[in-house]
Amino acid sequence: MTLQVAIEGVAFWASRLPGWDLARAVIRGEQAPPEAASARPAPTLLAPTERRRAPDTVAVALEVAGRACEAAGRKPSDLPSVFASTHGDLAISDYMCSTLAATPALISPIKFHNSVHNAAAGYWSIGTGSLAPYTAISAYEYTFGAGLIEAATQAACEERPVLYVAFDIEAKGALASMAPSRGLLGAALVLAPASAAQKQRSLILTTESVAESRPTAPRSAAAPLVADNALAPCLPFFEILAMSQPRTLCLALSKQMALNVQVN
Amino acid sequence: MSATQSSQHPVAQSPAELELAELIVNALNLEGVAPAEIDPEAPLFKTGLGLDSIDALELALEISKRYGFQLRSDDENNVRIFSSLRSLAAHIQTHRVTG
Repeated sequence: MTLQVAIEGVAFWASRLPGWDLARAVIRGEQAPPEAASARPAPTLLAPTERRRAPDTVAVALEVAGRACEAAGRKPSDLPSVFASTHGDLAISDYMCSTLAATPALISPIKFHNSVHNAAAGYWSIGTGSLAPYTAISAYEYTFGAGLIEAATQAACEERPVLYVAFDIEAKGALASMAPSRGLLGAALVLAPASAAQKQRSLILTTESVAESRPTAPRSAAAPLVADNALAPCLPFFEILAMSQPRTLCLALSKQMALNVQVN
Repeated sequence: MSATQSSQHPVAQSPAELELAELIVNALNLEGVAPAEIDPEAPLFKTGLGLDSIDALELALEISKRYGFQLRSDDENNVRIFSSLRSLAAHIQTHRVTG
């Protein structure tokens, strides 16, 4: 299977790389990363009632979603979206498990409300007033590639631009020992149907059955800054986007399925 | 009470009302709201503090944890009980087991 899409907008936010301009400069070796981690971005898009309830998943996802639309010059409410996260909110999952085990009648309704995997997508659609369809997916360690192929498929098949948002946050409690993740990391793209006249960068995605998938390893100074986050497998893609030359990388879709990504 | 405080809320809070106001602000993460500035007679929901139904459920949970009694979602008096800081604090003082 081969898909071709244009990249209209890019956004990136990590606790130690807060913003695509900074991340790109660190990847290129043009700038040193900040010493300290940044506070989580404020979800200013939301009304006060939603904003005060927004967990970290929502804060980081909405930050990159908004920035990618801005970079693409697209109105957020017009775009169908794909939200991908390896773990969703493991801090809340851990809270839900420990509370259900100890005092099941005392589950926080706000935490319950925020515990669903599509919480970030839901807050985004409320905040932007969007009636466009959204998809929320997870594929464990293969999440970034699976989300990318889903968004590119929608853009190519529906022949309209699609917002792709991937994010993971810090794991807490007992679940963190099984599924560790540190800091906040979010990345977003606006993908559009490829056209012959386009001046934007584009992607050609090809899936391939392999004996053992061998995803491209990260190689820049940004790698250690996000390596502990569950979404770290996305970094090699953004390392190539940060450079101007066309290159090809491999993302894993499963142990035996590779996603080859040609970045033009 | 200072003149400034009395101009911001015409009716003074009791200590129990202040304690409940602090619980509300913390439990619901209310931005820019000082517990001592909540008018005890103003509506908590829609207008006033602008709380909604999810906030009511969260508040009922926090109150049951702090004061040791259950606020029931099917209580026909809920509209009156939750109408203001004053009425909710009075209900808690009547029914509290702990805290």
